[in-house]
Amino acid sequence: MKPLQADSLLVLLLRVGAFLCLAGWTWVHFYWEGPYGVLLWKDSSYALAERLGIDWEDFVGTGADDGLVQRWIGLTGWFYLAVTVLTVTVRQKSYIQMVGLLGGGLLLGVLAYAKFIGAQRQLPMLVEHGGQILAPVLLVLALRLGVRHSVTIIAAMIAMVTTFVGHGCYAMGLWPMPATFPAITTLILGVEHETAAAMLWWAGILDFLVCAGIFFKVSRRSCALYAAIWGLLTAVARPVAGMSFSLNYWGADQFVHEAVLRAPHFVIPLYLFLVWRRSDQIETVSVDSDIGTGPDAPQKVGPRKMTGSPI
Amino acid sequence: MKFIKWLTLSLLVVLIAGVAVSQQKNQKRKGRAALSVPKVAKKDLICFALYTVHDNTLKLTAQLYPLAAGDSRTVGLEIKKEKEWVEVARATVIERGWTAPFRVEQWNDSQSYEYRVVHEAGSTYTGTIRKNPVDKDEIVMAAFTGNSIHPAHGGDISREDIIANVKRIDADVLFFAGDQVYDHFKHYAGWLKFGRDFGEIIKDRPTLCLPDDHDAGQPNLWGESGKVSTLGGASDGGYSRPGDYVKEVERAQTSHFPDPVDPHKIGQGIGVWFTNLNWGNVDFAILEDRKFKTGPAGRVPKQGPRPDHIRNPDYDPASVDVDGAVLLGERQLKFLDQWSQDWEKTDMKVALSATIFCGGAHIHGGANGRLHADMDSNGWPQSGRDRALSALRKGFAFHCAGDQHLATIFHHGLRSHRDAIWSFCVPSIANLYLRWWEPLKPGANREPGSPIYTGDHLDGFDNKVTNYAAANPEKKPAGNILNTRSAGFGVVRMNTKKREITMECWPRNVDISDPGARQYQGWPRTISQFDNYDPPSWGKLGKLTFDVENPVVQLIDEASGEILYTVRVNGKTFSPGAPKGRAFTVKAGRDQASAVILEKAEAGGSARDIRVK
Repeated sequence: MKPLQADSLLVLLLRVGAFLCLAGWTWVHFYWEGPYGVLLWKDSSYALAERLGIDWEDFVGTGADDGLVQRWIGLTGWFYLAVTVLTVTVRQKSYIQMVGLLGGGLLLGVLAYAKFIGAQRQLPMLVEHGGQILAPVLLVLALRLGVRHSVTIIAAMIAMVTTFVGHGCYAMGLWPMPATFPAITTLILGVEHETAAAMLWWAGILDFLVCAGIFFKVSRRSCALYAAIWGLLTAVARPVAGMSFSLNYWGADQFVHEAVLRAPHFVIPLYLFLVWRRSDQIETVSVDSDIGTGPDAPQKVGPRKMTGSPI
Repeated sequence: MKFIKWLTLSLLVVLIAGVAVSQQKNQKRKGRAALSVPKVAKKDLICFALYTVHDNTLKLTAQLYPLAAGDSRTVGLEIKKEKEWVEVARATVIERGWTAPFRVEQWNDSQSYEYRVVHEAGSTYTGTIRKNPVDKDEIVMAAFTGNSIHPAHGGDISREDIIANVKRIDADVLFFAGDQVYDHFKHYAGWLKFGRDFGEIIKDRPTLCLPDDHDAGQPNLWGESGKVSTLGGASDGGYSRPGDYVKEVERAQTSHFPDPVDPHKIGQGIGVWFTNLNWGNVDFAILEDRKFKTGPAGRVPKQGPRPDHIRNPDYDPASVDVDGAVLLGERQLKFLDQWSQDWEKTDMKVALSATIFCGGAHIHGGANGRLHADMDSNGWPQSGRDRALSALRKGFAFHCAGDQHLATIFHHGLRSHRDAIWSFCVPSIANLYLRWWEPLKPGANREPGSPIYTGDHLDGFDNKVTNYAAANPEKKPAGNILNTRSAGFGVVRMNTKKREITMECWPRNVDISDPGARQYQGWPRTISQFDNYDPPSWGKLGKLTFDVENPVVQLIDEASGEILYTVRVNGKTFSPGAPKGRAFTVKAGRDQASAVILEKAEAGGSARDIRVK
C-alpha cells in the first residue's frame, strides 16, 4: 500500500474510533441518560447556581416541571450528536469543526469526571476513560499535524496507557474490581468466580506490561496488537454476556452501546500497531536502501515524505 | 525521541502516583467513611451475637473478628443455670465471614437465660436469651432500615440515641429491613461495624436482619433465582457479586433465623431464608422480596432513563406487567398460603420484607428527580404484587418494611382502594438517598385536616394505594444530615389483647420517653388487626358467639372453593366480614379451623351461637 493511502487508512481508523465512541455516548444520552446527576444534585452545585441568581425552583424544577438541571442533562445529548457528526465531516482544514471535536473531548472529560464521582472517586474510573476522552482529540491531531506526527502518536500512547492502566488497576484488585468484570468472565467462559478472578488478575498484569511495552521499539508492535485484541474482546464481552433471545430486541438496546462506546479501547492500539508497523518497515527499508538498488527505491517512501515524524 | 518517550512515561507515572496519593488523603475527607476490620485483643474476638427462638429451637450466630492461624476454630455457647455456666452447644467457626452458628433444640422458652459465647483464647460475649413474651399484652418491635455510615448525611453520628430508645421501650424484637451494610465490597468489615454499633441491643432480644441490595453488594437487586447480573445497576436481574460473597452475607445476617420452610437453593448455590418466627404469639413471616424477582431490563418496554425507571406519565401501566415476571415466586406464595392458615399459638400476623408493595415515592434523588414509577419497588410487577397482597390479607397480616428511605403508611388496594393490608415503611437510620411522596393530584377521600398527599391514589403502576402519612424530607439543603433528611426509626406496638397495631415513627436524637418528643407528621397511627382485610364494600355474615375464647375461624367461598381468610377471633364473639351476594362455608376450631360450623352463609345473615369444644 502506498504511504498516502496508508495514512488515509489510519485517519479513517481514528475517525471510526471517535465516531463509534461518541455515537455510543450519544445513544446513552438520548435513549438512557448521561451520568451527570451525581454532579448536579449537590448542594455545592446549587450554591453556585444561587450565586448566579438562579433560585431553587428554577434550578431543580417545581416537581411538576423540569428545572435547569433536567433541561441541561437533556440538552447534553444534542452536543454529543453534533460532535458525532463532526467526526464524519471534519477535514484537514476544518478548523471550526476541529474546535468542536476538541469540545467533544471536553464533554467526554466531564462525563468521565461524573463517572469518577459516581464511582466514589475511584481513580481508575477516571483514568480508564483517557482513551475515550482522547479519541476525538486524536482525530484532530491526525488531521492537523499528521497521522504519523510524534504528537499524535504520543497522544495515542497516552490514550492507550490510561485505558489499560485503569483496567489493570481494577483487574488486579488495586481498587475494588467492578462486579461486572468477573461476572462477564464467568458467563462467557463458564468458569467459577475464583478462576475468573485469577484470569482477570493476570489480564491486569498484562495490561500493565503492554503499557510499558509500547515504550520499547522491540515490543511496541506486539503490545499494541495484543492491546487491540484485548480491547476488542473486553468491549464485545458485554453484549456477548448480556444479550439473550428472550429479551426485547435481544437486549441489544441494553448492551450493544456498551461495546460501541468502547471502540477507542481497540481502535487506538490498532492505530499504533499499524503506524509502527509502517514506520518500522520504513526504517528497515531505509537502512536496506543504502545498499539496495531495486526499482522500488525506498527513498520514495522515506520519512521525509511523511506528514509527520514517526517516533 | 527517546527523551520524549521517557518524559511521557515519567509524566504518566507521576500523574497517576500523584492522584493516587491524593486519593488516599481524600479517604479522610468529610463525605465517605473509611471501613476496615480492626485488630482486636484476644479477649475481644467475639464482636456480637444474634439469635432467634422459634418453636422451641434456639439459633444463635456469633460473629467473630478474624482468628489467627493458631487460634481454635471452635466456639462454645453456655447458659447460666442456677448460677453455673453450662455449655449447651459448640460450633465450628466458618472462616469465610468468621461466623459461628449454634443450634439448640428443645429450648425452654418459658424463661430467660443469660448466655455467653466462649472462645478458648479468652474471649467471651454475654447476653440474654429472652423468654417468649406470650404473657405480654403488647409486643414491641423496633424497626430500622438504611444504615449508612457516611458522614456526608450524618451517617457517622453515634447510634447511641437509638440504643437508648430501644432500651427505654424494651423492644421484644428488632427488625432491620435491609441495607445494614452499604459497602459493596467489604460486607464483613461493614457487618462488624454494624455489630459494634447495635450489638448492645441485639444481644438481648431476637433480631431479624434482611439482607437487601446494598448488603449483597449492588445498588438494586432483582435476584432472579440466583442468576448472574452483568449490567451496571443490575436491572438485568441476578447478583452482581459472586455467589460466595452473597452466601457469606446471608450467613452473617440470617443464619440465626428459624429454619427456612423450603430450603432448596437457588442459582450459584445461594440459599434461601424465607420463613416465619413466632414470638409473643405474633407470627412474623420473613419474606425474600428480592431473591426471586425478575429484572426489568429487556423484559419491559423502555419508559425512562434507566431500565427500571418510568418517567413517561402517559405510558400504559399494563404494558410493563409482562408475562413471566415474578415478584415473590411460587415457593414463597405457597408458604404464605400455608402461613396465613396457621394460627397455632398466634394472635396476630406480621409480614416483614425489604420493601413495600407499591411505588411509595414520586421524587427520587437529591431534590426533584420525579419518576412516574420505580420497578425496584414491589409495586412491580403488578400481578406479582397483587398475588402477594392477596396471600397476605388472607391472614390479616400487617406489613413492615424499609428500603425506601422515606417513612410512609399505606393501606393497599387490589380491586378497590383499602381492600388489602396496611404497610409501614420505616425511615432510614441515616438517609443516603432522598425520596418524597408528592403526588401531583390531591388524594381522594382524605381524612379531615390531613395533608393533600394523603388519601386514595394510584401509584405509578396503577396500583391502588391510600396514603396516611409520609415523612418527606426538606426540599432545600438545610444542614442536610439526619432529621432534615427524615432519618429515624419505627416502632410497631402489637397489642395482642386488643388486636391493635400502633405505628410510631421517630426522628433521630430524641428521647422517645419524653412526653414532649414529637414523631414525624402522620404518626402515631393505630389500626385494628382486622383492618388488614376489611374492604369497604363488604357486609357482615352475622354475629357468631362461640363457647370458647379466641377460636380460629376460616371462610371458604363455596363457588370457588377458595379460602377467603383465616383468623383468630378476639374473644368469644365475631362478626365475619364477607363480600355481599356470595355464599361461604365457615369453619372454626380452637387452634385450627377444622370443623365446619356454617354452610351457605351470606352477608346479612343472622346471629348464631357456635359450639367448637
